Amino acid sequence: MSGTTQFIKSSYINVSPRSRKRSQFATVLRALVIRDVTSRYRRSSLGMWWAFLQPLILMLLFNMLRGFVNIPSDGIPYILFSYSGLLPWTFFTNSVAACGPSIITNAEIIKKIALPREVFPLAAVTATLFDFVMSGIVMAILMIYYAVPIGWALLWIPALVILMGAASFAVGILIAGLGTFRKDFIFATPFLTQAWLFITPVIYPLSSVPEKWQSIYMLNPMVGVIEGFRSVLLKAQTPAFEPLALSALTTALLLGLSWPVFRKLSGYFADVL
Amino acid sequence: MSDVTIRIEGLWKRYGLPVPELVRKSVLAAKKIFGSKNDFLNETWALRDINLEVRKGETLGIVGRNGAGKSTLLKVLAGVTAPTHGKVEIFGRIFPMIELNAGLHMELTGRENVRLLGAVMGLAKDEIEEKLPGIEDFCELGSWFDQPVRMYSSGMLGRLGFGVAVNIQSDVVLIDETFAVGDLKFQNKSLARVKEMRESGATILLVSHSLETLQFVAKRGILLEQGQLISDGTSLEAINAYEKLVFRSEQQRLEHRVRNRISSEDVYIYNARLFDENGESIKEVISGEPFGIEVDLHLNRALEKPMFSMGLLNAAGILCKWNISEEDGLEASGEPNRYILKIWYPENRLANGAYEAHFATRDATSFETLERIAGIVSFAVVGPKRARGIVAGTCEWRLTPVLEGDTPNGKPAIG
Repeated sequence: MSGTTQFIKSSYINVSPRSRKRSQFATVLRALVIRDVTSRYRRSSLGMWWAFLQPLILMLLFNMLRGFVNIPSDGIPYILFSYSGLLPWTFFTNSVAACGPSIITNAEIIKKIALPREVFPLAAVTATLFDFVMSGIVMAILMIYYAVPIGWALLWIPALVILMGAASFAVGILIAGLGTFRKDFIFATPFLTQAWLFITPVIYPLSSVPEKWQSIYMLNPMVGVIEGFRSVLLKAQTPAFEPLALSALTTALLLGLSWPVFRKLSGYFADVL
Repeated sequence: MSDVTIRIEGLWKRYGLPVPELVRKSVLAAKKIFGSKNDFLNETWALRDINLEVRKGETLGIVGRNGAGKSTLLKVLAGVTAPTHGKVEIFGRIFPMIELNAGLHMELTGRENVRLLGAVMGLAKDEIEEKLPGIEDFCELGSWFDQPVRMYSSGMLGRLGFGVAVNIQSDVVLIDETFAVGDLKFQNKSLARVKEMRESGATILLVSHSLETLQFVAKRGILLEQGQLISDGTSLEAINAYEKLVFRSEQQRLEHRVRNRISSEDVYIYNARLFDENGESIKEVISGEPFGIEVDLHLNRALEKPMFSMGLLNAAGILCKWNISEEDGLEASGEPNRYILKIWYPENRLANGAYEAHFATRDATSFETLERIAGIVSFAVVGPKRARGIVAGTCEWRLTPVLEGDTPNGKPAIG
């Protein structure tokens, strides 16, 4: 049958005011973020404390590990060193984990209303930002306790947050898109992020990576992010150029790959939900 | 052609991700070789080659049997699912009311859901707040409006969704099976609002199994069958075509039913058919037109007085008509021979629907049953009238005003 029929290329066009669509996106994003944040810790006794506890527990675990194994920390107190790395790292793992099922959990909306589907993983990433801010308070307390000098370098934080969010979003939408069709991708996410931890300078400093491997190592977008946070928070220095630039580059490449894939897949989400 | 709101060209839809032609062919080839029952390829089209144009202010009713593709068409129009092939263009804001409820999030209250839905529909915050009282009022949910949606009954969900749909100004409204919610008063209110929307220039697409509603609301109607658009005209035309389809399939179901047959070897039945005034074989009887049933049979032994009976049952299994040859004055002796038995129905009062005929042969003197066949023929009665029931035919209606003083008091005795 398909041999004789000439198919028209599939297209769907809805002509309605463009500004309206943009405000629609913003309103929905806000509504979803508020919903995610307020409902996340509902029915849990510790509630919002989890936002603090998660990186804290990991930090304590790493400190115990350091009791057995010698891990360098560039002369910074290890508590500060590990926490400053865990701060962006927990954000990354949590937002990637939240992105994965974001399409499936919003099935009811997706089946009924046409929206740019990116809004769901984007809301998941943005809602995780709330936890990031919470654990950032702990970071501030630690910095005051250890009397870390602060400076103008802190102004880099917004840029670093954007880069961190973009990297998480790039990985997250790929998993969300593929995971909607094959749940295996969602199940594999924890293993992916665990493996990723080993190639990211969270526990150990970038300086302990052999010199000849460093440029390849820096292709990991999280390297630039974490190193950036460390230098602006702990050393009051502007981030080193090379890791940051490479990180931005790979994030852009990753986004350039995963976004079109997500776009392509997103038209068929409603079919499988 | 500026007043076209929806334009669909060569729309094909198959659920799931589109598979590239090369992959598809190789999987099919592999299937042929290994003969595996892999469901990797979904070969069924939900919609096939739909071409449709809907103008501004038109109300279009979509009818079709279950799985004909009605909901899929609405979903594609809503942009919820992408077309596999073909072009879909919609001009204006679209409000899809699909799958009855607007309960976007079960944990949120009705009010919060309306806000979220409004946001999703692209309304600004103050616009939503402005509309909220009207929506609250329309839904008639009372204090339930501030309860989490998960506690709602399906009727309440439908009312909430409908309340939002008719209170938000949109250019295209897609309504899927929502009219059956609420009591009669709510339904009437909804109908009135749909009419208002239509008059204000909104295009309305409506899927409903309530043909009555469709007929009153929609001016134009299309009929989908197995994903294909097979009829496009007034809503009445579409509904008639749909009923024909349903009766025909019911008839087929009757035909395929295992015959309940009691048989002695004394009678052979070769054939049975339905015929019209000209003696031509027919499959369908036109409502009110006379018809006949003919049975080709062979008597193997002599019967002193053969007696035949023919009963007509509708799809619900109700015996609508049953006649005995003896009572109707058939006088015949039954020598062993082949016979053609004709039963003519000059007054056809059968209502529209599917029927099957039950035939029996007896010996009137011994009252012995020689042959009994349930479903010897089956047929559909079709016609354009909306009247329902078991018996067709018009009645005479007259409305006369009652003069004051004729009634003892103004209170109605009923209701």
